[in-house]
Amino acid sequence: MTDDNSFMSGLPELAILRLLQDREMYGYEIVQAIAVRTGATLSPGEGVIYPLLHALEKSGALKSRRKSVNGRSRVYYTQTAKGARRLSALTNRWSELNGAVQALMGGMLAVR
Amino acid sequence: MPFDNLAETLLRGGIAPRHVRRYLAELREHLEDLTAQQCEAGHDPEDAAVRARARLGSDHELAAAMLEQRQFRSWAARAPWAVFMVFPPLAAIAIGMVFVGSLVLTGKYYDFLEKNAPPPPQWFQILATDVVAAANLVIMPLAATLFVAIAARQRLKLIWPLVATIMLLALFIHSDVNFLPRNKVSLVMGFAPIFQASAQKTMLENWPLIAAQYLLTLIPLFWLAYRRRAQA
Repeated sequence: MTDDNSFMSGLPELAILRLLQDREMYGYEIVQAIAVRTGATLSPGEGVIYPLLHALEKSGALKSRRKSVNGRSRVYYTQTAKGARRLSALTNRWSELNGAVQALMGGMLAVR
Repeated sequence: MPFDNLAETLLRGGIAPRHVRRYLAELREHLEDLTAQQCEAGHDPEDAAVRARARLGSDHELAAAMLEQRQFRSWAARAPWAVFMVFPPLAAIAIGMVFVGSLVLTGKYYDFLEKNAPPPPQWFQILATDVVAAANLVIMPLAATLFVAIAARQRLKLIWPLVATIMLLALFIHSDVNFLPRNKVSLVMGFAPIFQASAQKTMLENWPLIAAQYLLTLIPLFWLAYRRRAQA
């Protein structure tokens, strides 16, 4: 994966890696979990998650396998050790950004 | 089919067919889950299908998300000059090796190719001559078909299979077998530019076979041009 140059570019990746830290999931499950956890704040077209999942897999952050559950065959994704490291780096970056935005907003509120 | 237009956009955008197939398969599965969810929420099947499709994302959104992942572009889209100029001769030689290799293996199996072996029997001489003739007839057409198929599958411009076909025709790939005195068998395969004297001599000596070979090599390209014209 490339380094993040904009505020939002790493956010879907962060969400995916965080969710897959706990257990393996398939695309539909991941999208629903993101919507539930973010109160539907992050809700792009649901299908756009797949190119990102495939890219993360190609970069070695995820691995996938096709599995049948209740008669339905789906592609399940799991986080790898590389994915865990990537999650850690992204989490640090977003914490810094969050702190910076909080500080900025606090300053702006104080000016008002 | 629900994703035909999306598939076409992705292939024209240079995404490798295997990545397109995988993307569409997962989108179909996701759409089934969304439709089931909408039905459970009380919508009639038709309404549920429309709502599910809207939640999945527009064709434009879905295409843009995949097209921005440039690592999924095929080699033919990234470097068509390499695929259609460098690989055709290599592919032709590989196909030729299947023919020539099978003859060599047969000869080795029966010990016809050993240093002090007796003369190969008549059946092996006939087989070798026929296999070499068949190889000469089909190597270039098969290689041309391969590169036309790649271009057709990946919606590439007609210029690229044309380049590949010209490369094959210009290089004149040819194999030959001779049974020499002292029980020696000479089996050769190679290519030479058509403007070389040796190639021209062989072409003149075998002109009916060469004419058939060149015509067969051009057929896949004509087929693709006709198909594109019919679709336009």
